[in-house]
Amino acid sequence: MKRVGFTLNGKTTTCDVEENELLLHTLRERLSIASVKEGCSIGECGTCTVLIDNEPCYACLTLTAKVEGRDVLTVEYLAHADLLHPLQESFISHGAVQCGFCTPAMLLVGYSLLLKHRQPTDEQIREAMSGNLCRCTGYVQIIEAIKDAAPVFIHSGS
Amino acid sequence: MFIGRDLDRVDALAKVLGTAGFAHDLRMEGMLFACVVRSTKPHALLRDVDVSGAYAVPGVLRVVSHKDIPGQNTFGALRKDQPFLAESRVRYVGEPILVVIGENEAVAREGAARVRIDYGEIDAVLEPDATGKGRQIYDTGSLMAYKKVRKGDVEKGSAASDVVVAHTFRTTWIDHAFLETEAGIGYVDEGGRIVIKSSTQNIHYKRVEISRLLAIPEERIRVVQATTGGGFGGKLDVTCEGFLALAVHLLKRPVFMRYTREESFLSNTKRHPLSIDYKTGARKDGTLTAVKVDITGDTGPYASYGDAVCLRVAVHATGPYEVPNVWADCKLLYTNNPVSGAMRGFGVPQLAFAHESQLDEVAEALGMDPIDIRIRNGLKRGSVTATGQVLSASAGFVETLKKIEPFWRARQKTKKGSGFGLGCMYYGIGNTGVANPANALVELGEEGRVILHTGACEIGQGSDTALLQIALETLGVARSDVLLDRGDTDTSKDAGSSSASRQTYISGKAVQEAALGLRAFLDEAGYYHRGRALGDIYRATKDKGRLLFEGFFNPPASGLDEATGQGIPYATYAFASHMTEVEVEEATGACRVKQVHAAHDVGKSINPKAIRGQICGGVAMGVGLALMEEFIPGKTASFDAYYIPTSLDMPRVEVFLVEDEEPTGPFGAKGVGEPALIPQAASVVNAVTDAVGVHVYELPCHVERLKGLIESKKTTK
Ligand code: FES
Ligand code: FES
Repeated sequence: MKRVGFTLNGKTTTCDVEENELLLHTLRERLSIASVKEGCSIGECGTCTVLIDNEPCYACLTLTAKVEGRDVLTVEYLAHADLLHPLQESFISHGAVQCGFCTPAMLLVGYSLLLKHRQPTDEQIREAMSGNLCRCTGYVQIIEAIKDAAPVFIHSGS
Repeated sequence: MFIGRDLDRVDALAKVLGTAGFAHDLRMEGMLFACVVRSTKPHALLRDVDVSGAYAVPGVLRVVSHKDIPGQNTFGALRKDQPFLAESRVRYVGEPILVVIGENEAVAREGAARVRIDYGEIDAVLEPDATGKGRQIYDTGSLMAYKKVRKGDVEKGSAASDVVVAHTFRTTWIDHAFLETEAGIGYVDEGGRIVIKSSTQNIHYKRVEISRLLAIPEERIRVVQATTGGGFGGKLDVTCEGFLALAVHLLKRPVFMRYTREESFLSNTKRHPLSIDYKTGARKDGTLTAVKVDITGDTGPYASYGDAVCLRVAVHATGPYEVPNVWADCKLLYTNNPVSGAMRGFGVPQLAFAHESQLDEVAEALGMDPIDIRIRNGLKRGSVTATGQVLSASAGFVETLKKIEPFWRARQKTKKGSGFGLGCMYYGIGNTGVANPANALVELGEEGRVILHTGACEIGQGSDTALLQIALETLGVARSDVLLDRGDTDTSKDAGSSSASRQTYISGKAVQEAALGLRAFLDEAGYYHRGRALGDIYRATKDKGRLLFEGFFNPPASGLDEATGQGIPYATYAFASHMTEVEVEEATGACRVKQVHAAHDVGKSINPKAIRGQICGGVAMGVGLALMEEFIPGKTASFDAYYIPTSLDMPRVEVFLVEDEEPTGPFGAKGVGEPALIPQAASVVNAVTDAVGVHVYELPCHVERLKGLIESKKTTK
């Protein structure tokens, strides 16, 4: 076992993990962050996406030891108290959610993109989410939701 | 108030917060993990199964075989022919043989890997053989199902044709590729009953199968639908539920299962690969005179939903056109390939690929515009279908064409390699020629809250929200007055499966009926006229027992004649037309889908935003079917080898709705889940032909195949 310290959704976290443990396992099984999904386990579907220092990463390919001292965000970070993040509002109002299994990852990808591009084009959005599969929506309403949230995007960092 | 409105999905909040409890996320104190040992051979006798290696792994508690099954070791939606756990023989790669239960996932998987199986291999049947002369899997032969439709006289009709076009079309196995793999949890509750919560499309059916498996009455079993990460037909058959029930029954501890992606690819039923011989005759003016369709399909070793696919493709053979002379045969044959079953459209997307390509070739031969031949022959009110059904209402097919007609007429190829294609479809809502009822319950509960109890499974398609809207509109109450209670066999009556695009239409009508019952009661009690509060009405009557109102709907359809297929297979049909623009790079064979105009007759739009979501999702799946998706038995094990469309593959989508109301539907609604997908691949293929002048007779039309077609066209020139 090895002790790893990192920031998870703004809170300092330490966790004892196996030497080769994957971040996906640490988050889901040790820290009860069930919003990080496991659609394929080998870096092909994107449902396990988390943000590490605001960049999307597949948690199923990331060793927990590697996030030592870094900043990890999951979708739990976005809403505060009873207030949804504008991206979440936008996903709901645009119908960007169907089965919802890809949704937490899609929200994080959108969040990360909007940190970099306050007014992304459709092409930039498509590019940003190209590593995240969705079998239900055809992506159209997700793209619209991200685009529409851009003007009201608030970097709600702590 | 609530119909035709873009109500936000009732389940969206939990899903954007990340708090929705998917089957993958279910956990219980002290739970065990179960995993399945599967056949690695397509056809073999099990000579010896040695589980000692599994038991040698610390933490492995039990290895379960068919011998541990107290009841029937068979299941199947339409025929009970598939073993939960193989007995002496395996018939496809991925067939379950044992269940290994361990303290945790790592232990259970390690145990499963250490099981040694001595297979006595038998030659496998890997090609469907319609002659009946080749090797057979079963003594009874290879023919699983055979359905036919006969109308008029095709020979005469062909003789009277000015043009006849005939081709053979082929499709392959398609995986549902829902993003949440099969999963669930099982436990024994305080009352000693077995509870299964899973990712599923049908709870009451699963309860029946578990009852047969364990030989315990249905009342001793409760099945609950967890939040389900996609279905598309792949969670209709029993997946993990039987193994969970068995494990819980034997160990009396909570047990969890989750298939790996590889296991999901291996075990999940597939879209049937079909070979379609299609002959179309027409007169000079474009009027269709005859259609002869001879279809054979690979159904794998077990029936699954094969019977439903077989009948449905025969019935839909002509596509949405009126044809006086029809001869359609569909035969599904047993093989040692993966089990084919239900997948979004039950065979009709494959068929649409054929009939739409055919129609374009007929139009070309006659020098007609593709849209004109469709308008000329399109089914409309008063038309007679291939099964002799007169469409008396809600037949807005031609209107869907009219919606896209302006864009079609204005189409312009902007560069070399650009092309446009049409694809059309009709689709019978609900199961074919059999009773397929739904029940619903509406209750006036505690503090005057209205509770809608439905057994309909929400698999992402939006039934929760649509059913709620129907209840709200019928009752004329506020959104906050109604609670939805869904997907629990303890609190709902059977609503049938979430399949065949049936829930909005059938469960929707049942909900409306139940709500009308409560409405009459509330009216009597003074809610509507005297402004009496729901809470007061509840308190004044609660001592008389639960205020529960039942709704039931079984669409008016009839069985079909065995010999001719004549009859009324469905009470109503959905219609759609898609127009697709592509750009093909001739040098590489790469095809990009640029834009889709999709027009659908949905009867009545309950929630336009949700319908648009279904259509965009259907377009994506259709693009996949046309251009990239191909499951190769023995090879495909991950998304690395099975491409589904990403955001970069998606076209822009414009949606148009036609509302030709269905008199038997709730507020006139029909269904859209499968229609959204069905015409899409056909329209892509026709656009490819328009773009580069090659005909595509086999799917998927992936880069290499298209490149090959373009090159062989050049060399034959
Ligand atoms: S689970 Fe990590 S990419 Fe699929
Ligand atoms: S909403 Fe189902 S996978 Fe995206």
